[in-house]
Amino acid sequence: MTDVIQTAAMPDTATARRPRWRKQLRENGLHLIMLPLALLWLSPLIWILITSLKTNAEVFDQAAGFWPDKLNFSNYPSTLSVAPFGTYLINSVIVTTTILAGQLITITLAAYAFARLTFPGKNLLFTLFLLQVMFPIYAIFLTNFVTLREMGLINTIPAMIVPFVASGYGTFMLRQSFRQVPSELSDAARLDGCGHMSILWHVYLPLVKPTLIAFGIISVVTHWNDYMWPLLVTNSESIRTLPIGLGLLAKADSGADWPRLMAGTTIVVSPLLLLFVIFQRRFIDSFMHTGVK
Amino acid sequence: MSPSFARARRKEMLLAYALLLPSLVFLAIFTYWPILRSVWFSLHDVLLGDPDIYWLGAENYLRLLDDRLFWKVLGNTAFYTLTTIPLSIAVALLLAVALDSKLRGMAIYRSAFFYPVMIPSVAAGMVWVFLYAPGYGPINEALTTLGLPRLDWLYDSQWALPAIVIMSIWKYSGYFMLILLAALKLVPSDLYEAARLDGVSGWHRLLHITIPLVSPTLYFVIIIGTLHSYQIFDYVYVMTQGGPADSTNVLTFYIYQNGFQYQDIGYASALANALLVFVLGLIGLVALTLGRKVHYLGER
Repeated sequence: MTDVIQTAAMPDTATARRPRWRKQLRENGLHLIMLPLALLWLSPLIWILITSLKTNAEVFDQAAGFWPDKLNFSNYPSTLSVAPFGTYLINSVIVTTTILAGQLITITLAAYAFARLTFPGKNLLFTLFLLQVMFPIYAIFLTNFVTLREMGLINTIPAMIVPFVASGYGTFMLRQSFRQVPSELSDAARLDGCGHMSILWHVYLPLVKPTLIAFGIISVVTHWNDYMWPLLVTNSESIRTLPIGLGLLAKADSGADWPRLMAGTTIVVSPLLLLFVIFQRRFIDSFMHTGVK
Repeated sequence: MSPSFARARRKEMLLAYALLLPSLVFLAIFTYWPILRSVWFSLHDVLLGDPDIYWLGAENYLRLLDDRLFWKVLGNTAFYTLTTIPLSIAVALLLAVALDSKLRGMAIYRSAFFYPVMIPSVAAGMVWVFLYAPGYGPINEALTTLGLPRLDWLYDSQWALPAIVIMSIWKYSGYFMLILLAALKLVPSDLYEAARLDGVSGWHRLLHITIPLVSPTLYFVIIIGTLHSYQIFDYVYVMTQGGPADSTNVLTFYIYQNGFQYQDIGYASALANALLVFVLGLIGLVALTLGRKVHYLGER
């Protein structure tokens, strides 16, 4: 039984020539290094969870052990009572989904033009799109803030959305996928009398679904977690997002009430981490293949 | 050219511009215009919310050259970028090679190293403030257990920036590891087998086979890493506010301080332009040095 699994798992030619015990030894040796490393990587998350179940006295008491004396869940209701996490959650959902919807429209249209149409200035325009990748909001936040102030959008939900509606990166990703669609398919559709828009909708979009999902996941993770820009353009509680709410709570507490703060952190990191655990393959694939094409 | 063909081309051209229009409107307002405008601002005396603007010429830039804090901040930015990127890519490469050898439990390891990417920067920063706490923080407890001296970490101007570097390696290595794993899967395994049978050691295989073959991806990861390094603003804002004694003050944060705290948009714009030059210079440097050495499989 074990024999069957072993040979199925390792079809390399070397297994025949090298003694199996050496391979075993090598693999166990690797686990010996990787397991502690993985635990090290997980330890901040473990500390968040454990600390959120402690009492404040236990955190500062050096004689107290790693585990809480008894599990203390009261930090969670306490966090929810000092900060309106429900409102923050709704705002985060609105901002993230609106950005994604806007991006999907703009990048689909632009990517089709770059992948399948000929027009003067194509290369120049494509370079201009890629420029946006080099100049993320972190590099140009100052003037964008001034612009939004002149538009009267500061401290509104749209202020958190509009700078991200166009995506040079998304356009690039989708253009690559569109170009891999065999042109015979669209030629056939053209002969049947389909226009560009209906070809885009009926032929191209269904074929590039994996790319759309991958881009969607990356966009959601980026903007769900975004801190700097929402921080700069909002100043009232009713429109703030989850990360900003957490930052405010930290400032108010300033390290005085770690268990409550860690309970808040758990609430903020949970939605994405849960989605990640459930759709692990999709998440991993999305981030994995951003580099290959 | 027949008239109907010319008409078809004209139609295609108009359609293309129409499809690009939605993106271009947003890019124009929120990417190109800000860059042009920040050049304009940097040549003037502009205060936030004050409609009066005065021409200064190059004065903001001369002030920048004289500003000792600016040079310190630039040095900190360079230190952060030039340590975080090579270190996290080195860690990522070793992790990727280890996981690529068909290790059992590979999926679990992969997620364990990758999950920090899912954590908001503000949450990550806060947790590490706790981990680094001098009195009761777990890191100092661990150092004591190992018989090493305790450190003041974020309160020590020597150690505050390296502390943020360590946190960043934890945060980003998993992402780079995933991208490198995808590239490693494309390396034909018979290449390794041939080398192994010839008695080439593991270390040499890594250096002479793996790294050259994934070099296009490494190059890509370096660029991505450079762009990600902007995010240090979040960590500085949450963890140190630039302190102690400006030892963690970096360009993005210094721009924020000048623009938002001192309301000096003119000078902050000059700083922002310096940041753009710094990043473009770094990317240009990478393209000129590493970009030429990149080896593409199947080429030649």
